[in-house]
Amino acid sequence: MSILTNPQLWAGTLSLATPLALPAIGGTFSERTGVVNIAMEGIMLIGAFFAVSFSYWTGSPWLGLLAAMAAGALIAWIFAWAAIRLASNQVVLGMAVNIFGAGITAFLLNTIFGYNGTPPSTASLPTITIPAIKSIPVLGWFFYQQNVLVYLMLVLVMASHWLLFHTRLGLRMRAVGENPLAADTLGLNVWRLRYTGVIIGGVLSAIGGAYLSIGILNSFDVNMTDGRGYIALAAMIFGKWTPFGSLGAALLFGFASSLSTALQGNAIPTDLIAMLPYALTVLALAGVIGKSVAPAADGIPYKLDR
Amino acid sequence: MQMKKWGTGMGMMLALTTLVAGCGAAGQSGTNSSSGTNSTGGTHSSVKVGLVTDTGGLNDHGFNHLSYVGLQKAEQTLGVQGAVVQSNSASDYVPNLTRFAQQGDNLVIAVGFLMQQAVEQVSKEYPNTKFLLIDDAVTDRSNVTSAIFKTEQCGYLVGAMAGLMQKETSIKGINGKNVLGVIGGQSIPPVNTYIAGFYQGAAKTDPGVKIVLKYTNSFTDQASGQQMAQNEISNGADILFPVAGGSGIGSIDAAKAAGIYAIGVDANQNYLAPSTVITSAMKGVDTSTYEVIKQVVNGTFKSGIQYFDLANDGVSIAPTNSVVPQSIVQQVDKLKQEIQSGQITVSPNIPQ
Repeated sequence: MSILTNPQLWAGTLSLATPLALPAIGGTFSERTGVVNIAMEGIMLIGAFFAVSFSYWTGSPWLGLLAAMAAGALIAWIFAWAAIRLASNQVVLGMAVNIFGAGITAFLLNTIFGYNGTPPSTASLPTITIPAIKSIPVLGWFFYQQNVLVYLMLVLVMASHWLLFHTRLGLRMRAVGENPLAADTLGLNVWRLRYTGVIIGGVLSAIGGAYLSIGILNSFDVNMTDGRGYIALAAMIFGKWTPFGSLGAALLFGFASSLSTALQGNAIPTDLIAMLPYALTVLALAGVIGKSVAPAADGIPYKLDR
Repeated sequence: MQMKKWGTGMGMMLALTTLVAGCGAAGQSGTNSSSGTNSTGGTHSSVKVGLVTDTGGLNDHGFNHLSYVGLQKAEQTLGVQGAVVQSNSASDYVPNLTRFAQQGDNLVIAVGFLMQQAVEQVSKEYPNTKFLLIDDAVTDRSNVTSAIFKTEQCGYLVGAMAGLMQKETSIKGINGKNVLGVIGGQSIPPVNTYIAGFYQGAAKTDPGVKIVLKYTNSFTDQASGQQMAQNEISNGADILFPVAGGSGIGSIDAAKAAGIYAIGVDANQNYLAPSTVITSAMKGVDTSTYEVIKQVVNGTFKSGIQYFDLANDGVSIAPTNSVVPQSIVQQVDKLKQEIQSGQITVSPNIPQ
């Protein structure tokens, strides 16, 4: 029981959910407009790398975050161009971005910073404590010593929900993801809306990567995302392509990771505990929480006959 | 029409990826050969050495990095031609080793316990190529030499130091709860020998100490190393000993953020956080790499196991930072002599 009352378990849950929730919502934006996006892992790595580099070069982690977002937007734009304009296979493209992201960041790390890795003096984003939240029982545990990006993530979840489900733009984005022909007939620009969805997704995934590199740490290492982009993919599906659902799924996966950390050394085999988040993912995808239905036109390129 | 465009898109992506991969290879071999030819006063040798790193990569601030340092030294002083390839996953081991053997390298270095089977396989196919396996043993081949480090000895010394530090509650950050935290990368011998020594050393100087041990199960996941560390800190740990490659960097970060202390591993990691990292348990991967290359150059290569320990400086501890009182440094020095003289033997197994 003492494990459950250790604030670190809950702080860890939220901290580990953040780099899953951001790319999961990023993927949601992309797929809601009808572009299958499995490129979160690669975009996260690119975001993580550019965040550290620019934080080091400019001395400002905020500029690092901006650079990560710009890099994420750029790579997402290239992805969108190939997926939408060239109508390439989106799953293959996503995989290509992932392999490209892993390769280019490893190459740039070695070329720019050498084999000594990123400098330890790199500035990272601040950790903040809001006294009003801290004093609330239980909820305060979650917010014990969290990075500023954790708060930003929560704001982005709400903003994304509002954008997707309570604005005209959101309705149009969802429309081109469900029935692009009908949307086109009504005069919506299908391609532009899809570009918007994919690029917003790229920016959010890159913020997730920046959280890993200059949020909780201040360094970059090859493949430091450790498959989180793929878990985020599961969180997106588990969360039924909604921002709040993605956050919920991310929190569940974060809790499983945090619990496996806390349980280690308590006579339970560590390998078994380390499996917990992945076992939960399988259970989730097997339909334990009901059926997840993708947007109807997800993954189908839309051809313009003009 | 659709297929054509699909092809164009994929082609562009592939071309881009290949371009970058090509740049990577060119960049690496470029730097390596230049450092070989730029050497001043170094002899030139026709010996070619291929280095295959483990998944931690050359930027791991430790183990893989050190093997490269050893190779660079050999390039500069012995004039050998070195080349490096990093493994991205376990499935890269065999192709990477084979590539160097195939292109006629005289010595192929496999950095890491996890490559044991790959070395066993490739060394059989290329009996005329010499192999160095670091951290595990292949003994039944005349073309393989294995470097084994008695890291339990340096683990013992830093454990003893951590145990002694636990009594110094006047030092800022030492909380008097008498808890130490250890973060392992994976439960494998090269990690556990360090940890075994740490347990025994800490128990020697501080019999009542409680040690929390957790594994990240990854050598590249810094975020996980940071989480493990925060969990141990919340359980009272005030000195952390991460033995987890790149993941351990996250643990040192967490120690720094919490205002407690950490002990580096493999290399002298003090530069990562000068006031946090009190010392490091060092493993002379650079020395051993250099020594074996030298043996190949001089024609004195011998197969079998070569042991590296405190006595031949194969393992050691880094100079302490100013946080550690001089009296503790002296007591640890005394223990070091006792290990060297055989008065203390350190077991490579973690006490139950």
